[in-house]
Amino acid sequence: MQPISEQESSRNCDDHVWADVSPLLSAACTHLNDGELIHGDNFNLFAAMSALEIMDPKMDSGMVSAFYSIDEAIESGFAPVPISSDTSVNVESIIDIMDHLLVCEATWHTGHSLAQTVFSCLYVLRPERTSSDPLLHSYCRVVRATCRAVVSLVSEARTNEEEDLLTMTYGLPFSGDEDAKGLSLLNAVEETICRQLRACKATSSKRKSLKELEPLQTNPHLEESFCKALLCRLRFRKHFLHILNCMKRPQGRGFELARKHIVSCLSELDSVLESAEFLSLDLVKNGENEIDERTTASGRYPIGFDPTLNKRLSAPTPPRDIKLLSWKKALDYYVKLLHNLDQICALSMEPDLDFVLQFVIQFQKSRPDLVSRAHLQLLLVQDGKLYGRDTFFDIFARAVALDVTKDHVLQKNEYILQLSQLMINLLKILCANTPWQRRKLGKILNDWSIFNVQMGINVSQAMQQDKSRTSKNGDKSLLILNQIHGWLEEQINWVALRFLILGFELELYSPSEFCMVYWYMYITLCKLAERARVRVLIVVSTEERKAKKNKNYHRNMAREDRISLWVLLLQCQTCLAQGLTVMLSALRNQGMCLKSEGPFNTESEKFTQHFELLQKASLPEYDAYESFTKSTSHTRLDYLPVQEYFRNAQKIARDIKVGFAKDPDKLAEVRGLEQVAEHNIVAVNLISQDSSLKVSFEFTHHPYFATAVVRRS
Amino acid sequence: MEQEEAERSTTVVTSTSEDSSLDPISRVRKLLFRQMLVGIKDGRFFLGNFHCIDKQGNILLQDTVEYRSIRRSSPSPTEQRCLGMILIPSSCRTSCHVDCSIEEQLSLIQLKE
Repeated sequence: MQPISEQESSRNCDDHVWADVSPLLSAACTHLNDGELIHGDNFNLFAAMSALEIMDPKMDSGMVSAFYSIDEAIESGFAPVPISSDTSVNVESIIDIMDHLLVCEATWHTGHSLAQTVFSCLYVLRPERTSSDPLLHSYCRVVRATCRAVVSLVSEARTNEEEDLLTMTYGLPFSGDEDAKGLSLLNAVEETICRQLRACKATSSKRKSLKELEPLQTNPHLEESFCKALLCRLRFRKHFLHILNCMKRPQGRGFELARKHIVSCLSELDSVLESAEFLSLDLVKNGENEIDERTTASGRYPIGFDPTLNKRLSAPTPPRDIKLLSWKKALDYYVKLLHNLDQICALSMEPDLDFVLQFVIQFQKSRPDLVSRAHLQLLLVQDGKLYGRDTFFDIFARAVALDVTKDHVLQKNEYILQLSQLMINLLKILCANTPWQRRKLGKILNDWSIFNVQMGINVSQAMQQDKSRTSKNGDKSLLILNQIHGWLEEQINWVALRFLILGFELELYSPSEFCMVYWYMYITLCKLAERARVRVLIVVSTEERKAKKNKNYHRNMAREDRISLWVLLLQCQTCLAQGLTVMLSALRNQGMCLKSEGPFNTESEKFTQHFELLQKASLPEYDAYESFTKSTSHTRLDYLPVQEYFRNAQKIARDIKVGFAKDPDKLAEVRGLEQVAEHNIVAVNLISQDSSLKVSFEFTHHPYFATAVVRRS
Repeated sequence: MEQEEAERSTTVVTSTSEDSSLDPISRVRKLLFRQMLVGIKDGRFFLGNFHCIDKQGNILLQDTVEYRSIRRSSPSPTEQRCLGMILIPSSCRTSCHVDCSIEEQLSLIQLKE
């Protein structure tokens, strides 16, 4: 037998050997009946089902594919250095490698393992081999440095889900010291190519002086294009790494510089895209026009990539072949990523919670990818402070229009510290991906409501004790705590609303359940709008008082306007939710819409499934299902207020459109709300006249307020 | 552990005299829980505790370690890793050995005829 068995047998005691049992096994197998097994007492069919099947390509990551190991691949000349003795072929191949690496990196960002993407490249795995080729060498080093920067960013922010593979680097050669030099090498290479570009553009007289400079490749007609194609790729890498480094600086200090690099990066990406025309000439000549699937600009498969080499490092995933993005899609990914990063860098960093929350929600609307979300989260929460700058106590106090000093007694107050922690968690969760975000929001609601109760009891007790003492010039701490407690309830309802809305984004509600969802949204919105209105009154009156006292006091009108507009927007949504609830329940009561009872579970079970987490957090305090059935069981369409709700919504939407004139995103949302109201008024009119009409609901005007569509028959 | 193993091997030794009279199924049953070394087509070896076999000859091993050569050319250093429970389909099995005493091996050889 082969070496191992010999080793094994020598390891055994003298009287032990490895006996060949193959014949015995085959004899036993012929004696076995169909379906019969030979097994011990501890055999468990269920456990046996989870056994790894050897040689199954979808389970067995150890299957020997092209090469037994990286070393063997290198020895076999799979990734030669230099790639070719022909300089033209060499340059072309390097460009292919660069393009494919870019694709690999984008694929990695979107959720695959590093081992199967970027590190499927032998030149990246063993960069020391390429030191004789500065172009390839510096590029690979910078790619490695970029990967490290991204891994450290995402693991620090922990916006990734448990099963996200982005941060898995186990078993990969990730030594940093050498890679850090990559950028300076890259700069030197860029310099050289710039000179080569100048040389080939120069007239013959000047050319003499540049004679010592060797051209990139042999064909002088193509020299300029090759130089340009390389330059934009190198520069993209350089600027991209700079962006990551700038954005890492605390308190957003590097944002201004980062934005400049983002602009450069985007323009280099344009050039990269343009270079495809020149690079894919061969492809066009051969009559192949398949652009969609290819991973390089030229359409060739690059040299030196084997995703199966590291397959065994890609655990915990099964060893599936992954599908790389196409080159075009990868470029699109970077454009989106850069725009998202630019959004973050452009944030005005106001120490205002309403502003921050609205920004995050708006940011999430474009479904940003993990890398940009990690950046946002690191910006928002640094060292337990907002933007790493303002303590959360300041922020809470500002939310209720109070100014506090840095060394205020309450900074160290137990409740404030707890609330800060809750807020930090909330901000982090809001930066997560949508499904995860919803799950986590539902879970933290309970923490918030328990804390709310505790703080409420404590503060009211303290207030009563304080009253008995009637200390006029006592500190205002209690008053501040009381106000913050009032704001807390608003915040809880905000979280609950976000939880409900995300259900629409994730398409978790079926049309037959819309009625209960809108009912729940309605009661949540009511609470939220009511609380928010109280706060607006407090803010405005405090500001007015301050302005009267001190003539030089600068009132932050923008902020006041912002929250009052927000309250109006909430009221508009409240009306819509109420209108939709009544409309849907009336349709159901009159038999024009399906009841939410399916063959499997009853309406009350569905109600619990959807809103259990809210009810656990006592939102609302009363029995929600009973209240829901009571309020919806007798509604009818000819009941006038239905239209009235939509009319109110329409009116408010019209009024606040002016206020949002400067904010195109919000303006679009308000327009959407207005249209939903308009269409639903018409629909209600039609349906109440003719009950034979078919009604369905669509989200054409707003992502979570449905528009009724009426069809004949 | 060692004591247990010693005991087990003695029982095996004492039972060898009757082994040849037993049918193959009972003999294979006696191999359960022993260390088994299975070689497969692509050159890897698996060392684990024999857990189960079915009519088609598919084998389940428990607490398995995989051994593989780093290079195609032999001799070559080997790499190993733990895999837990694995199923080796009979189609890719090329060799199969069980750890046993010399006397037992003689009885196994006898059985072949």
